[in-house]
Amino acid sequence: MGIDIDNKEISILQLSDSFFPTGLYATSSGLEALSQTKKLKSKDISQFISMQLQQVMGPSDCTAMGCAYESCKKNDIVSLLDADESLYHMKLVEETRIASTRSGNQLLKCVSTFAKNKKMLKQYQIAIRKGKATGVYAVSFGVVTSALNIPKRKAGVMLLYGLTVSIVGAAMRLGILQHFEGQKIIHQLGPVVSHAVSENIDRRISSMWQFAPNLDILQMKHEVQSSKMFIT
Amino acid sequence: MRSRIPRVGIGGPVGSGKTMLIEQIVPILSEKGYKVSIISNDVISKEDADRMRQNLATDKGLMPEELVIGVATGGCPHTAVREDPSINLSVIEELESKYPFLDLILIESGGDNITTTFSPALADYFIYIIDVTGGDKYPRKRGLGIENCDLLVINKIDIAPYVGADLKIMERDAKIVRGNMPTVFVNSKTGLGVNTVTSFIIKDVLFDALPKPSK
Repeated sequence: MGIDIDNKEISILQLSDSFFPTGLYATSSGLEALSQTKKLKSKDISQFISMQLQQVMGPSDCTAMGCAYESCKKNDIVSLLDADESLYHMKLVEETRIASTRSGNQLLKCVSTFAKNKKMLKQYQIAIRKGKATGVYAVSFGVVTSALNIPKRKAGVMLLYGLTVSIVGAAMRLGILQHFEGQKIIHQLGPVVSHAVSENIDRRISSMWQFAPNLDILQMKHEVQSSKMFIT
Repeated sequence: MRSRIPRVGIGGPVGSGKTMLIEQIVPILSEKGYKVSIISNDVISKEDADRMRQNLATDKGLMPEELVIGVATGGCPHTAVREDPSINLSVIEELESKYPFLDLILIESGGDNITTTFSPALADYFIYIIDVTGGDKYPRKRGLGIENCDLLVINKIDIAPYVGADLKIMERDAKIVRGNMPTVFVNSKTGLGVNTVTSFIIKDVLFDALPKPSK
């Protein structure tokens, strides 16, 4: 009993660790594009991530993750592929779609080497190989957390926490934040992450949404820039 | 079923001549019929990938432009080729699916001698390139790059006398540090020594296999 709980906790820690190999360290989720406007200050980072959580990652990625998780628990490949297709098409910027599917596919590949309950994970990978799915990151995250028996709500927190940390990490490497500021922001954003999960994890895929037009336009400019550190 | 295409990782400090070495190697391989793709991990820009695409694909027509791919690394090129090669592996898997006729993938990444090594999951063969401007002490100072690479390339030998670097000392120290592992002295600007580097790739990575038939 105790060992089962420990294993689950270790899976949670393992997937939440920035050491876990998904390539997220190379993404800034639009922060690099915004920083190139030269108007960004360290005090703006928290607000930028809040906006991402409330208007992009919460209502789109977290929703799709929750639906993918439920689909796996019900062995429902049709609704899983629906979540995949819906989230992929909701990402308006090509570099974001590409980065998300690349990270998602590597996440699936990595977890498939050690997960025991991987029937749906395997079916999803077969669908990707056949071109019927993309492997977009948040859906892949729902698939692997289901395979590892991580509770759904915790999976949602892990997803949004991971994306938050990747943006804070990008802000530090862009020279906008120093290390203590970064940790303070991650801590202070806890309630925002929690609220975004509560609001979105049980949302139906047909109600998924996102709205950040300025960010979309900035990221489209980022795609064609010749000098950049980050993939997104 | 996707088949694995052999991969060579080429690492070295910024300015050591990685891109120019690739620009010299690819025409030699191409002349022999080998079809190559290049992935360039850049620290802050797409400049290397753009330059190789222009030179090798657009100007010389040695490969389709889409086979020169730039990968941004979030400022962490070491991570991108060692601890977390996810993005590079994804790009390679896409290449293997779309272009199974490729004979070789070259993966370029900037990085200092202290930390740069390629994950064996990413590269089958690791070339580390340094140049003489760091001084003839460079090989004996060791470091993961110099010690662990399959082939050490020492570039810009033409300017050694002007920077006070003794090539004999570098050769002696490389042997001490690397044992029987090979070291090649080159001048990537003129192509001196580059045929030897290419021969190592054909022998040790491609095992003297003939080029695959075209698509």
